[in-house]
Amino acid sequence: MPLLEVAELTRDFGGLRAVAGLSFAVEPGEILGLIGPNGAGKTTVFNLITGFLRPTTGRILLEGVSLVGLRPHAVTRRGVARTFQIVKPFPRLSVRENATLAAFLRHPARPAAEAAAQRVLAEVGLGAKLEGPASDLTLAEQKRLEMARALATRPKLLLLDEPMGGLTPREVEDASALVQRISAAGLTIILVEHVMKAIMRISNRVVVIHHGEKIADGPPDQVVRDPAVIAAYLGARPA
Amino acid sequence: MTLAAPIAPVLAVLALLALPLVATNQFYLHLAITVLMWTLLGAAWNLLGGFAGQVSFGHAAFFGIGAYTTMILYLKLGLAPWYGMALGGLVGALAALPIGLICFRLRGPYFSLSTLAVAEIVRLVALNWEELTNGPVGLLITTLPPVGLPGRPLNWESKVPFYYLGAGLVVGAMVATDRLARSRLGAYLLAIREDEDAAESIGIDTVRAKVVTLALSAFFTGLGGGFYGVYFRYVDPDAVFPIALSVEMVFIAVVGGLATVGGPVIGAVFLVTLGELFRERFLVGHLIFYGLFMMLAIRYLPEGIWGGARRALAARR
Repeated sequence: MPLLEVAELTRDFGGLRAVAGLSFAVEPGEILGLIGPNGAGKTTVFNLITGFLRPTTGRILLEGVSLVGLRPHAVTRRGVARTFQIVKPFPRLSVRENATLAAFLRHPARPAAEAAAQRVLAEVGLGAKLEGPASDLTLAEQKRLEMARALATRPKLLLLDEPMGGLTPREVEDASALVQRISAAGLTIILVEHVMKAIMRISNRVVVIHHGEKIADGPPDQVVRDPAVIAAYLGARPA
Repeated sequence: MTLAAPIAPVLAVLALLALPLVATNQFYLHLAITVLMWTLLGAAWNLLGGFAGQVSFGHAAFFGIGAYTTMILYLKLGLAPWYGMALGGLVGALAALPIGLICFRLRGPYFSLSTLAVAEIVRLVALNWEELTNGPVGLLITTLPPVGLPGRPLNWESKVPFYYLGAGLVVGAMVATDRLARSRLGAYLLAIREDEDAAESIGIDTVRAKVVTLALSAFFTGLGGGFYGVYFRYVDPDAVFPIALSVEMVFIAVVGGLATVGGPVIGAVFLVTLGELFRERFLVGHLIFYGLFMMLAIRYLPEGIWGGARRALAARR
């Protein structure tokens, strides 16, 4: 059974169909890259899976159990965590507190939550920055903090929304390595990303969406040569 | 933690207990009781507004509900106002549940506006439901039931019992604030204040956290309303449901210091004494100076007087 199954997912905003009959599945342990041109509906898909938006129609199943209609906190409780494309730290709270708040989900007592928070912060490389406010971190560090916060909820499935967007090449390298480490630890990951080099290297499989529809689904090296994908990104070749 | 930390509250409580022995003048005692009532209200508002950052402009609704509950239970059912006050708080908290579930569908300024509307609705209900509330005529208590410590009946014509009653309520609200600040719920509220979507995404049931806190806040506000009714022995819709009352609660919490235990005391002392002073000095237009002071305080002390002082102290160390 796939860990996550999305079937015939559709979402309309007024007259605009942002996601149109999208179906895909994610197998346990996979890193699935979700790509597509700007406005393709990638972030909307994340918002639908995590309960920030309700599907107009369609099914979303985690280990065979529907997530549709659950509020975001309940989806997180079921084991799906996410990061945001535009980072949303708790800016005036310390880095440690940011992660502790997430760890409370599985550790109701503060000392246990703080210990768990410290572990995930060390894992993402923020072990030396625990006490300062989150607003003092660089963008790359804030993206790591978001990952730490998501990990602290002990998810089965992690949705990363552009974890490399806006980073320097060096920071992209580090972030790729981090995603691979998290994956090696047994987590299943869906990755929305525009940095093609990174996504092609670390994804096991890539799903391409365009105007809310799936236009390709396969291993990265195969997808990049797909004429439909090339047309979506560069425009169709004039006849 | 320094030694001063546990000693300061003890000293504050002792000073609170001793004040009526020093201030025998009825006017000062009345002023002190007024400060206590506003401290209670500021502290109650602060639970939701300070910690969760949810700015309610409608807390007069809970104040009025508490006041009317206390008065009606006494006048119609003969229930002593001491129980009535507690029930006033509970009815306020119960009313907060549906109000919260409706208003918390909205965020930010839209939430604030919806609370303003709710308070107006409640005021209009109180004004027009004459069988229950006596409408615009209001409700009047002529005599309070005798209450006595063994062998020593309390003198309700004196202000001293009210002073101690108010002091007890304020201490209760401050203990509740302190407990909230140390609890998981308190931590969740700060997360909600910082970023509601992020809070939801890490598994915090934000609606539930906000509704529970609104109910707690409404409980203390309702107690304050009951206290007002018993102290002044008269309530009418204009006295206990005005928008100005809601706004004053916001000011006290903001000027004193949001999400702090001691802030509302400072805010209440400042604003009550300042209000009296301006009223005395400038018979006409005293509200202009009051408003001007508010603007200065918000511009130059965004963390409130308590927060600003704490920061200044920390910087000197």
